[in-house]
Amino acid sequence: MAGENGSAFDAVEQGPEASGRNTETPHGGVGNPAEHPSVTALQGRFDSAVLRHEVQAGDQHVVFLDPGSNRAVLAWLRDDPEQRYDLLVDVTAVDYGGGRPLQIVYQLWSVPHKRALRIKCELPLDGLSIESVVQLWNAANWLEREVYDLFGVEFRDHPDLRRILMPQNYAEGHPLRKDFPLRGRFSRAEQTRRALSQDYHDDYTPEELEVGGAPGLAPPELPISTDEVGTRLD
Amino acid sequence: MGMSDGEGTDPLSLAEIEALGQAEGRQGGLLGFGHPTFLTTKVDFVVNWARRNSLWPMPFGTACCAIEMMASAASNFDLARFGMERMSFSPRQADVLICAGRVPYKLAPVLRRIWDQMMQPKWCISMGACASSGGVFDTYSMVQGIDTIVPVDVYVPGCPPRPEGLIYGLMMIQEKIRHESLTEHYSLRAENPSLVGRPRAGDEEVEALAGPFGNSTQQDQLSSAAQTTRPERSEDLLP
Repeated sequence: MAGENGSAFDAVEQGPEASGRNTETPHGGVGNPAEHPSVTALQGRFDSAVLRHEVQAGDQHVVFLDPGSNRAVLAWLRDDPEQRYDLLVDVTAVDYGGGRPLQIVYQLWSVPHKRALRIKCELPLDGLSIESVVQLWNAANWLEREVYDLFGVEFRDHPDLRRILMPQNYAEGHPLRKDFPLRGRFSRAEQTRRALSQDYHDDYTPEELEVGGAPGLAPPELPISTDEVGTRLD
Repeated sequence: MGMSDGEGTDPLSLAEIEALGQAEGRQGGLLGFGHPTFLTTKVDFVVNWARRNSLWPMPFGTACCAIEMMASAASNFDLARFGMERMSFSPRQADVLICAGRVPYKLAPVLRRIWDQMMQPKWCISMGACASSGGVFDTYSMVQGIDTIVPVDVYVPGCPPRPEGLIYGLMMIQEKIRHESLTEHYSLRAENPSLVGRPRAGDEEVEALAGPFGNSTQQDQLSSAAQTTRPERSEDLLP
C-alpha cells in the first residue's frame, strides 16, 4: 500500500523483507541460540566463519556462514561425531531483490541425533560463486545444478555444472532471479522457435538414451540375481 | 416340412422361410431370413462411420486435466461407448491427440514429434485453459497455446473441464469427421515433409496468440501492475 513517502511500487522494487528474524517462542528455551548444541559448537570452533545466528519459525536455527569457508564447516558438521549431519535435505537459494545479497541455503538433518540445522551463505550479486559440496553429499549434485540453472550461482568444483530444468539452449538468463522479467527476455515467437530447435542429444548422454531401448542394453548392475533376493529374505 | 398340405402356390411366411433355412443349416442375413443381404450407400458414409466410431485417443496428459481425462475413460463416464475403446500409448496407432494440461517450452518438441508420428487421418483436442492459451501461466517457460506448435481441431475450455466437456469435444470431432469427404482427403490431410518438427504458427501469429500483453520483451514486473490499494470492504472484516 502506498505510504506517505513512497509509491506502491517501492515494495515491488525492494522485494519482501528477508525472512530471517528472531521470533518469540511460546515454550521458552527452544528459541534460545544456546539451546542448539551444534550452534554453540560452531560458534566455539569456527568463530571467524560464523557471522551470525538466528532462530526462525519458532525452532529453526539458522547459522549464517562466511561463503569462503562453507566447504570446511559443512565437512566438519557432517563428520564430527557430535554433529553427524549425514543427510543433506536441500540446497536452494533465495533472492530477496532490491540488490540485497543472494542467500544459498543448506538444510541439514542429523539422523543419529535427530536434529535439524539450516546454514545460509550470503553472496553479493556481482560475485555469485561458492564452493560445491558434492564431494560431501552426493545429493548436492542435482540440487546445485538447479540453483545454477535458476539463479546463476557458479559452484566451484562441481563435477557436472549445466542446466537441469531449463533447456540446454536456453539463452535468456536465470529465471528465478528478481531482475528477470516474468515473461522472459525474448519474444514469444523467438521462444517458440528456440524451443522446437532443441536437440535431445544435448540433455542426455548416448548411454542414457540407450537405457530402456532394447532389453540387452540396460546397465549390467541393474538386474538383481536370485541369490541376493534369497539372502535378503533370510 | 413347413409347407402346407394342398394349397400349393401361397407365398411362405417369414417364419416358415426361417424354419426352412435353419433346417438346411443356413444363416440368415443381417436383417434376417428373406431379406436382401446387401445394402447400398456412399463410400464416404461408410468410411466416416468407421472412422468416427473407432477414434483411438493418444493421451498427452501433463497436469490436472489428465485426471479428468482418466475419469472420462473410467466406468462412470465410459469413453469407450463412443468408440474411444482404448487409450493408445503409441502415437502410430492413435487417431486423436488429447493434449491435457500445460506444455512448457521444453516439452514442445516432444509434443510436435508425437504429432508428426501419428498417421493420417488424425485430429487434435486441446483440453483445458493451459493447453489452449497458456492459462494463468503467462510466464517465461510456458507455451502460450499448443496451436502454435500443432494444429488443433477442438478446444475444450475449463480449468479443468469436466469429463462431460471432454466427451462433448470428442463428439464434436465425430461431427467434424461426419462432414469430411474422401475427395477432399488430399487437400485436408496432405502433409509437407519439410514442416516436420516446425511450429505450426508463423511468428506474427505466435505474437498475436501470445497477447493480450504484446511483446514480452517489454515486460517487467511493473509494466502491467495496476495500483493495488486494498479495497475498503468493511463487511468482510470479522468483528
